[in-house]
Amino acid sequence: MKRNDRIAGMIFIALGIFILTQTYSYPSLEKGHPGPGLFPNLLAILFMVFGGVLVARSRRLGASVESIEKPPKPTAERIVNACSVLGLIVLFVVVVDHVGFLITSALLLFLLMKRLGVSLLRSAASSILITLFINLMFAKLLRVPLPPGILSW
Amino acid sequence: MEIFLKGLFLLADLKVILIIMASAIYGLFVGAMPGLTATMAAALLVPFTFFMDPVPALVSIVTMSAMAIFAGDIPAALVRIPGTPSSAAYTQDSFELTRQGKAEQVLGADVLFSAIGGLIGAVILMSSAPILAEIALAFTSFEYFWLAAMGLSATVMVSSGSQIKGALSVVLGLFLSTIGVDITLGLPRFTFGSVELLNGVNFIPAMIGLFGLSEVIRSVMEGELRYPIASVQTGNLFRGMWGLCRRYKVNVLRSGLIGTFIGILPGAGADIAAWVAYAASKRFSKEPHKYGHGSIEAIVDAGTANNSCLAGDWVPALVFGIPGDSITAIVIGVLFMKGLRPGPMIFEQQPDIIYAVYLAFILANLLMVPFGYLAIKCSSQMLRVPRNILMPGILMFCIVGSFAINNTVFDVGIMFVMGVIGYFLEANGFPVAPVVLGIVLGPIVEKNFMMSMIKTEWNVALFFTRPVSAILCILTILIWFFPLFMALIERARGKQPMRNGVKS
Repeated sequence: MKRNDRIAGMIFIALGIFILTQTYSYPSLEKGHPGPGLFPNLLAILFMVFGGVLVARSRRLGASVESIEKPPKPTAERIVNACSVLGLIVLFVVVVDHVGFLITSALLLFLLMKRLGVSLLRSAASSILITLFINLMFAKLLRVPLPPGILSW
Repeated sequence: MEIFLKGLFLLADLKVILIIMASAIYGLFVGAMPGLTATMAAALLVPFTFFMDPVPALVSIVTMSAMAIFAGDIPAALVRIPGTPSSAAYTQDSFELTRQGKAEQVLGADVLFSAIGGLIGAVILMSSAPILAEIALAFTSFEYFWLAAMGLSATVMVSSGSQIKGALSVVLGLFLSTIGVDITLGLPRFTFGSVELLNGVNFIPAMIGLFGLSEVIRSVMEGELRYPIASVQTGNLFRGMWGLCRRYKVNVLRSGLIGTFIGILPGAGADIAAWVAYAASKRFSKEPHKYGHGSIEAIVDAGTANNSCLAGDWVPALVFGIPGDSITAIVIGVLFMKGLRPGPMIFEQQPDIIYAVYLAFILANLLMVPFGYLAIKCSSQMLRVPRNILMPGILMFCIVGSFAINNTVFDVGIMFVMGVIGYFLEANGFPVAPVVLGIVLGPIVEKNFMMSMIKTEWNVALFFTRPVSAILCILTILIWFFPLFMALIERARGKQPMRNGVKS
């Protein structure tokens, strides 16, 4: 937690500096009153102040109470799980327009469930059922034009 | 009275009744599943409400949230895991009583006192909101600026864990709200040439990412939760409830008031209400030694408070457009999308919407008794739904829900980014709810400040010299010093802070 806090604090300080580099060129209102840059600049200062406090505090606290709450370190397998979740979203976006919602969704759900250790039959059945349910809710009930692709229903 | 009947008429529609039923079942399921929160339920419900009229949209969110906060009590009693954070305060007590063979009594008390708490909150909402709306009519941009500042300060002060982290979460939300065209000159800020970002970060995909996708990521990182499901005989749940009601009538009233008040406080939600009511209950109890070892009194108190809080949350949301918690922050986002500006004017211009919300609260809490009864009967089946099938399903809902609003893949991208941000924030102890409040309150703070300044030619003193403005300013500053004040009290008493007093 201690090290993470330091990194998080530094990220927020960096974000603050980044905001300042962007707002530098913003115009001001007439008579030189602050305009579009005022609020972002204030936020940038707050990012740097609070981020700084976080960094300073993480230095001061030793390996203290907070480390008790720390969850066990995620295994490589779990990290792959998380990446598959994110990968699924990317794949969905890339593929859905060409193949259509029904096939894309069922296939990707099947792959993710397999990855998470669901048995073959259950993965197949649940991914098809979930896809049909979402199709019913969004495409039929709410009339959202989901990409039909090859298979339209 | 005529308008009240009109509100009733709006609800007495077959479509609306079906929506209420569906929202109730949805809320009960999400609330009872450990790891799925009521806020996540609201975020995933929003794509549906987007396609509804304002009345059914609001009614479905009210019903869903009331049911979800109650249903969080079920796994607390059966498997010692709170279904939503709002049940965390009394999870230990619930489970201990189940172990002593009193599951029936716990679950019966959960459903009954949740409903009573909800009704107390509804009555306070109905009586206080119109009065406050009268006062709010006189508010100008100066006062709204202070109200929003007060809301942000309160959010930071009550955020769970470290207040510095809460503050950073709020500032992050405020920063996200500045993306897009600026209100003074129409200058695009932080859009990096993207046309889609000119209108700002789309609110709904952002919510789905922060509360939906982040939970999915966290769940697959944690792996399958394994818990033994206690098989309990639940015969007549309501046996002996009349006795509890009579014995704890003062408790119920006190906790109902505490819960609603905490709800009205901007930024503090049902989980805080339950903790505060629990602490108050212990202080006034004749049997404080039982707390943490199975006290039914604690369950009555905290269970009443978290449900009464829900109605309280709607008071600032409807009257000022300042959210009381993260669910009402989402509601305000929904109202804006429907072209409704929450605030005192809505009480005059569209009173039917206000009355529909009132009635929805009463109806949802009355329905809670039969629906909750059924949910308890089905609870062991619900808790057996495997998470490694549920989470992929939720993920697909997140994707399609984000896509559905504008039929654009760009929104799925926003959901993706916000989901990753939400996950990392939460994993490092940064609370996520303040980010939403920042996103909703950011434009209010900036717009009212800039408007006030431009119309008075930068006369900053007016923020402090207008009478109401000055009062709000003093209140805001008092909130800033609240933790210092509390720390002094704690030191004087030489006691541990409340949260460490009870193990969750």
